[in-house]
Amino acid sequence: MMDGDVDDILKRAASAPHEVDREAIKRASDLILPALKPVRPLPSTGVVALTLQVIFVVVAILGATALGNNGIRVLNKLQALLIFAALGVSARLASVAAASEMVPAHPKRIAPPVLLAGATGLFVLVFGVLFYDYRLDRFVREGLSCVGAGLVYAGMAGLLIWLVLRRGYILDPAAAGLAAGTLAGLTGLGMLELHCPILKSLHLMVWHTAVIPLSALGGYLAGRMVHDLGIKRKAAEFMQ
Amino acid sequence: MGERLPPMQPDDDLEELMVGYQQGNSEAAAALIERVSPMLHRYFMVQVVSRRFAGDLLQETWLRIHEGRNTYRPGEPVLPWLYAIARHVRVDGYRKVQRVESRERQVETLPEAGPPPPDGRAPDLQAMLENLPESQREVIVMLKVSGMSLEEVARATSSSVGSVKQKAHRAYEKLRGLLEGFTRTGQGRAT
Repeated sequence: MMDGDVDDILKRAASAPHEVDREAIKRASDLILPALKPVRPLPSTGVVALTLQVIFVVVAILGATALGNNGIRVLNKLQALLIFAALGVSARLASVAAASEMVPAHPKRIAPPVLLAGATGLFVLVFGVLFYDYRLDRFVREGLSCVGAGLVYAGMAGLLIWLVLRRGYILDPAAAGLAAGTLAGLTGLGMLELHCPILKSLHLMVWHTAVIPLSALGGYLAGRMVHDLGIKRKAAEFMQ
Repeated sequence: MGERLPPMQPDDDLEELMVGYQQGNSEAAAALIERVSPMLHRYFMVQVVSRRFAGDLLQETWLRIHEGRNTYRPGEPVLPWLYAIARHVRVDGYRKVQRVESRERQVETLPEAGPPPPDGRAPDLQAMLENLPESQREVIVMLKVSGMSLEEVARATSSSVGSVKQKAHRAYEKLRGLLEGFTRTGQGRAT
């Protein structure tokens, strides 16, 4: 028997009449049709991604302005160019990944876990290549202060990103949370690069970069929580 | 409750109906529900885990389609968008049932796959696909019942075209083996 024979049998089977639950169709029609209102289609993924990038830029700049633009002043041109180019590329990819999660069946150019690993790895590499001061004095104290500030602004960016994402229809809240959390983490990192004047290699590689995975973890857990609460609510409705 | 409907074929104007539905046109919405529901119902019926609740899942799918209808973008294929939602309803429905029945031990007995009926009669798709894993069954239904392309199935299932091809290939291999087995058994009985 050849594939063509299997194909023929499947086609015959698929073309056979199928018994449909008319009651379910009627219930669905009764729920949907009486309250039908026009809706405006979601803007294109490019436009949504651009909106998310604006949030990234605005929150990072406002945060650094509030705390002091001390970091950008101590970077040389090469360091500034490489760091902000890496931030721009990562934020662009994260914005597209988050925007893609808003539309069911939207092709995914980059999976959120790959995005997170790539962005984290990229900044460890960039900081490792650009900075050679390996002193560890005040490592934890300075580090915790930077992580805290980075996460505060990541949280603010995360809330704004969520306001945009909720306009879509997210099927996988955990993946959307991971992508949004990564973008928010990049915002926190961007703010730190503008604000923090410490150029010690390990401080940057560990504490500044840590804002990305910590924020992504927060986004992922928030997404999981939203999803689980939805299932619990539906299970409760089902049991009533 | 049940009614025999003619087989559904994918049509080019599904996009038009979907756009009408977004614009609040109740005739377009009603036509879309009529046209797509049999495909979605069949999708739930061939999956073991969703079969018992196919009617409820169909209704839930329409509610979610309604909720997220603004995310359909005119010009894009409709079926992958619809099936992506249906697929999540099925998965969520399975988890929901697991929660509800967590204290019961649910043993699903799979019926034996039936042989294709004698020439002239269409074989039962549900019975044919019984022995396939859920993921392969899903791919075959989307490809053969809904007439979606490999790319569209990949979009609906959030996977790659390669993965869809592989699942379809494995499903065909298994179906070929089963059908050949039936043919041999039938011939053996005849002699």
